Amino acid sequence: MIKDITLGQYFPGDSFIHKLDPRFKLIFTVFVLVEIFLCKNFLSLGLIFLFSIACGLISKISFKVIMKGLKMIYLLIFFTSALQIFYNKTGTPIEIFGGKITTGGIFTAIFMAVRIISLIFVSSLLTYTTSPTALTDGLERLLSPLKKLHIPVDTLAMMMTIALRFIPTLIEEIYKIMNAQKARGADLENGNIIKRAKALVPIFIPLFVNSFRRAYELAFAMECRCYNGSNRRTRMKKMHTGWRDIVALCVVLLILAAIILLNHFFGAVI
Amino acid sequence: MTVLEAKNLSYEYSVGTPFQVTAIKNINLTVEKGEMLAIIGHTGSGKSTLIQHFNALFQPTEGQIFLNGKDINESKESAHAARFKVGLCFQYPEYQLFESTVYKDIAFGPSNMGLSDAEIDARVRRAAAFTGIRDDMLEKSPFDLSGGEKRRVAIAGVMAMEPEVLIMDEPAAGLDPRGRKTILELIKNYRETTGSTVIIVSHSMEDVASVADRIVVLNKGTVALSGSVDEVFSHADELVEMGLNIPQITKIFAELKKSGYDLNTSVYTSEQAKNEILRYLQKGGNA
Ligand SMILES: Nc1ncnc2c1ncn2[C@@H]1O[C@H](COP(=O)(O)OP(=O)(O)O)[C@@H](O)[C@H]1O
Ligand SMILES: [Mg+2]
Repeated sequence: MIKDITLGQYFPGDSFIHKLDPRFKLIFTVFVLVEIFLCKNFLSLGLIFLFSIACGLISKISFKVIMKGLKMIYLLIFFTSALQIFYNKTGTPIEIFGGKITTGGIFTAIFMAVRIISLIFVSSLLTYTTSPTALTDGLERLLSPLKKLHIPVDTLAMMMTIALRFIPTLIEEIYKIMNAQKARGADLENGNIIKRAKALVPIFIPLFVNSFRRAYELAFAMECRCYNGSNRRTRMKKMHTGWRDIVALCVVLLILAAIILLNHFFGAVI
Repeated sequence: MTVLEAKNLSYEYSVGTPFQVTAIKNINLTVEKGEMLAIIGHTGSGKSTLIQHFNALFQPTEGQIFLNGKDINESKESAHAARFKVGLCFQYPEYQLFESTVYKDIAFGPSNMGLSDAEIDARVRRAAAFTGIRDDMLEKSPFDLSGGEKRRVAIAGVMAMEPEVLIMDEPAAGLDPRGRKTILELIKNYRETTGSTVIIVSHSMEDVASVADRIVVLNKGTVALSGSVDEVFSHADELVEMGLNIPQITKIFAELKKSGYDLNTSVYTSEQAKNEILRYLQKGGNA
C-alpha cells in the first residue's frame, strides 16, 4: 500500500548525521555509493556494509522503519541474485534439486544482494535524515556553477522543493478521496482489471482537479510575495560547515583507502 | 432504540513508525434511532477518526462498533453493507466530485448499491430537492458550480443513498454565514422529513446548538462531556478550557442572569433571545 512507502520520507532528529551540512551530506552519499561499486571482494564490501549499518545506528532511525522502506526492493534483490545463481558458472559445481549451480554463482548472488541493500540503505539514509528543503537547497548550491551556463538552477531547485513538499500532501489527499468514494460504495478491491481501472476514475479526476487548483493558489501566493525566480534571492537558513563534516570527510576517505587496499591484496569475487 | 454503538473504541495512526499517534482512545458512545446527535471537539480531537469507524472505513485498533446490534467488522460483507446503511459525508465533500454532470455524480452512490434505474432516478431527484438543487443544474458539470452549490451536490450524493444514519463531517466548514445557515437548515429539514438518524460533526457550538438533540464533546481523543444541549452548555468553563466556545448570545444571557435578571439561560440563537427578552418584559420585569 501507499502507506508503506517510506523511501524519500524525512524523519526529524538531531543525530550526528542529521546535523551534517546538506551539501556535504550529498557529496558523501555519492562518494559512498561510488565506494560500494568499487568493492571487489567480500572484505571490502563487508567493510562498507558495516559502515552503512553504523550510519544507521548513529542516525537513531529505527531499523524497522528502514527495512519497511526496503520492502519494495526485496523483489529486485531476489531476481538479481537468482539471475546470478543461474548465469554464473564459475567455481565448483554443486547439484541442488536436480539442477547444477556453482559456488561462484552463489558467491556473486550474495555479493549482489549485499551490494544492492547497501546502496538502498545509504541513499535512504540521506533522505531520512535531511529535510526535502535542505536537500534541494544543498543541491542548488552544489550545482550553482551551472548558472554560468545559463541553466536556471534556482528555478529547478524551487520546482523540486515544491514537488517534494507536495508528495505527502498528495498521498494524504489520495487517501481522503479513496475513503470518500468508498463511503459512497465505490469498490476498489474487487473485480477484474478493467473494473478496477474504472474504479480509479472517481479517485484520479478529483485528485487532478484539486492539484491544479492548488498549483494555481500556490503560484498566486508566491507572486503576491513577489517571487519571480530571479537569482537575487537570499536565504533564510545559512548552511554551516563544521567539525562534523570534517570528521565525516576523514571517515569516507579512510574507507576509500581501505577498500582500495582490500581490493588490491585479496582476490576479487566479481 | 440504539442504532449505533461504539464500545471501548481506540484507533492509532501509523502504527510501528515514529509517527504513531493515538487519535481516539476508549470511546463509548451510543446513537439512538431518529436523534440528531452532535459530535463537537477542537480540531485534532479525533472527530473525523471516530466517525470513519461508523461505516467501517477504519478498523478499530481496539474495541467494536455495533450497527443495529451487529458488529460491523464481523465480515467483509457486513463492513461493505455498513457503507450504505451509514452514509458518511466528509469534510469539504465538494473536492470529491468527479462526474461529468451533477446528476451522474449524485447517482454514483445509489448505482453502486445496484438499484434499478427508476429507483436511482427517484432517489437522485429526492436528494436534489432536499438540497435545493434545481432541475436545470442537474445537467451541468459539477465543476462549473459555485462553492456552496458544489457542497450541496456532494451532500446530495450521500443523501441519495438514503442511509439509516447520515453522518456529516463539518458540513458548514469554510462557508459564509448565509451558506452555513442554508446547510444547517437543509440538514434539519432532511431529518424532519425522513426521520433518519443524523450525526453532525462540528467544532462550532454555535452551529449545532439550535439543531442538535444531544451533544457529545470530544477532547484529545476521549469523550469529555455528553448530554442535552443545556447540560453540556452548563459546563461553560470546561468547554472554554477545551478550546470550544459557547455561543455569544448564551454568554450574554449567562452574564445577565448573574447580574440579577431572572432570564432563562438556554438561549442559543438571536430568535430565542428575542423571545426570551419579550417574555421577560411582558412578565413585568424591569429592564
Ligand atoms: N492520516 C493521519 N495520519 C496520522 N495522524 C492522523 C491522521 N489523521 C489524523 N491524525 C491525527 O489524529 C488526531 C485526530 O485527528 P482527526 O480525527 O482528524 O481530528 P478532528 O477531525 O477532530 O479534527 C490528530 O492528532 C491528528 O493529527
Ligand atoms: Mg476533522
